[in-house]
Amino acid sequence: MKTSRRTFLKTATLGGAALVIGFDGRRLFGEEKATGNFQPNGWIRIDAEGVVTLTLGKSEMGQGVRTALPMILADELGADWSRVKIVQAMPGPDFKRLGTGGSGSVQGSWKPLREAAAAARELLTEVAAKEWQVDPLTCSTAAGAVRHAASGRSVEFGQLVAAAAKLPVPQTPQLKKAEDFHLIGRRTARIDARDIVTGATKYGIDTRVPGMLYASLERPPSLGTKARKWNEKAAREVRGVHAVVAVTNGVAVVADSTWAAMKGRSALMVDWDETNAIRFDSLQHRKKLEKASREPGVVLRSERPASPSTAARTLEATYYYPFYVHAPLETMNCVAAVTPNDCELWAPTQDPNDLQRDAARLLGWAPDKVRVHVTTIGGGFGRRLANDYAFEAIEISRAVKAPVQLLWTRPDDTRHGHFQAASVHRLSGALDGSGNVIRWRHTKAGSLHNLGGVEKPPTPNDAPFYQGYAWGVYDLPYAIPDLEMTYVPVDLPVKHGPWRAVFAPGSVFARESFIDELAHARSADPLQFRLALLQGDEPLKAGELTIDRSRLRRVLALVRDRSGWNWNEKPKAGAGRGVACNIYDADTHIAYVVDVTVKDGHVRVKRVVAAVDCGLAVNPIGIEQQIEGGVIWGLSSLLKGEITFRNGAVEQHNYADYDVARM
Amino acid sequence: MSALHLTINGQPREVEVDDDTPLLWILRDSLGMTGTKFGCGVGVCGSCTILENGKAVRSCQIPAREAKERSFTTIEGLSSDGNHPCQRAWMEEDVAQCGFCQPGMILNACALLREHPDPSDEVIDAVMSDSVCRCGTYPRMRKAIHRAATLMREKTA
Repeated sequence: MKTSRRTFLKTATLGGAALVIGFDGRRLFGEEKATGNFQPNGWIRIDAEGVVTLTLGKSEMGQGVRTALPMILADELGADWSRVKIVQAMPGPDFKRLGTGGSGSVQGSWKPLREAAAAARELLTEVAAKEWQVDPLTCSTAAGAVRHAASGRSVEFGQLVAAAAKLPVPQTPQLKKAEDFHLIGRRTARIDARDIVTGATKYGIDTRVPGMLYASLERPPSLGTKARKWNEKAAREVRGVHAVVAVTNGVAVVADSTWAAMKGRSALMVDWDETNAIRFDSLQHRKKLEKASREPGVVLRSERPASPSTAARTLEATYYYPFYVHAPLETMNCVAAVTPNDCELWAPTQDPNDLQRDAARLLGWAPDKVRVHVTTIGGGFGRRLANDYAFEAIEISRAVKAPVQLLWTRPDDTRHGHFQAASVHRLSGALDGSGNVIRWRHTKAGSLHNLGGVEKPPTPNDAPFYQGYAWGVYDLPYAIPDLEMTYVPVDLPVKHGPWRAVFAPGSVFARESFIDELAHARSADPLQFRLALLQGDEPLKAGELTIDRSRLRRVLALVRDRSGWNWNEKPKAGAGRGVACNIYDADTHIAYVVDVTVKDGHVRVKRVVAAVDCGLAVNPIGIEQQIEGGVIWGLSSLLKGEITFRNGAVEQHNYADYDVARM
Repeated sequence: MSALHLTINGQPREVEVDDDTPLLWILRDSLGMTGTKFGCGVGVCGSCTILENGKAVRSCQIPAREAKERSFTTIEGLSSDGNHPCQRAWMEEDVAQCGFCQPGMILNACALLREHPDPSDEVIDAVMSDSVCRCGTYPRMRKAIHRAATLMREKTA
């Protein structure tokens, strides 16, 4: 659809004198809503006190968006950083496109935020310049004030907003030059750091509303089973228990404290009807994936050389990436307050718009009857793109006619995740007589997400659709003349969805391991071997992605130099060093060198050196934290626990049997 | 159900709870102090760590009948202004990501530093590995503990 250049830019006041600008990435809006495609995903408000408020559409789950996004705004506007506030957006007519995932918050907000802030800056400057009778271009903004350097005058934003709000919003505001950034790129402490260290931060689990009851829900222990009968009397005899209610996902006990609800739940002694039990078994599933990986599948990318070379040596390897559960420290939870007329939710969700829509559907109401408060999230990692826990809370609240907090226990969270789906990667390659890699084949056998029912491709052979499920497979950065990547979808009856770095981890693990095998086959330095395969300055096209190999070469060279990489140096007995690299979604270029020791089969990671080129680092601290966290997440996946299914049930329960990385 | 008398952050408190109610839920549900977090319920993650006489204890593992007449410090009571050396060090090293485990981690670190005023990395790893951070803040926590140790020494010097 072609968007008209004509824009609907207006300003207005909201709750007293204030300058308000909304933005949706295409247009800027005043507070008065334009008709038509009005879908803002952010609002900036500057009030008469000079306080700048950003209504933020992104969920904070540790990735630092509540710091990085206002940094962009404050820099472009020339705001006083200490007077910038954040308000969490609620889904509704003003916010139709919320949602946090796929590592896109900063990148996606960058331009619209800057444009909105620049528009506000121009309006404020215009008012001040008119007052001073000077050229607006001779004015600047800093620390929440407009200044005129030549005359030494300055006026705070708050005094300008009433007049600025009456002016039309500039259509194409002038953005700052990168060399004028003073906040963007500066190491900036998290806006909420003090709240976190004093325990003041309110996560979903900390929500308290008047009259709130607490619920614990007993779910089927294995797939396809249903509650047949249960001991309601015993549960009700637990002091503090108010009600026992059967809901879609099991039997809930509602009480006046979390503990009473948990105790009541354990007294239920539910008898499960196993008539329709699904005896899903992860070992069997692995065999199914391995078999599937030999099948033809959907071609994701295929390139053939003009003149084929003769293979002197071929290699093949199969990699299995198992099931994992996200296991954020804050278990799934939601407060639901359903009345006969409306529904209010407090949820640590990554996907508030779908929550509002689906909650309304569940209740048979219009979406505007459902109000969703997005809380701070105690770890998301993709798990909270599914809103299953919130629908449970809604059903329970509706049944007991009171606000209810549903809190999952750790075993609930471990056993009823939206798991990282297991996949098998079959790779083969060939070297010619000179040791050049002349052929590459990579098949991923895996499963599509089923967050809201199984996602089906528009056509069974739709390559772009499957590419979306095969990050790290089809976007191979290496220059190999003969290559083919395929995807074989395998049905999976358990809930599964995005994982940290979405689909990349399993695919990149397999790909980088196999590149090492090829390097090993010709006794090559694996880092130099990669560099040699990344030669050439032509951008590489893979699906809709454009891959810049030169940036990956740079980070590889940097990690080589900074880690003291020397392949000719013999490692000590029991010690080893490895390298891997990746371009995430054509955006972030990263290379690692890892030093490990192995003793009695126990791997200890001594050091990880990472070189990262993610483009402009808005907040370098945030980037460092994400890289450090990603390293530990990766090590946790590789060296620690996995989820297994037997007889349709998850075999793990808690951090004791689903081990994760510790200090 | 009986009246339970205990001291939280220096304040005498009285609550009516069943004898088997874990202290964690007394803090969170009865007293409305939500800084202490629920993570696993079985004492393996450390999110519910609080202090008793400077020692780290897991509030999910202390039933009401054992908590009576005892005195505990939670994250809300660690300092009046959020400037305890551990809290300062945590902010100065930019430790927190999601932050959910951090109250427990900070209190665990306080207990560690009481026993080991100048801990080695090995001691830090050994003590802190009883707790889980899923965001992966471990390297920064280690630095923050060293920094807190320095801040504490400066304070007493």
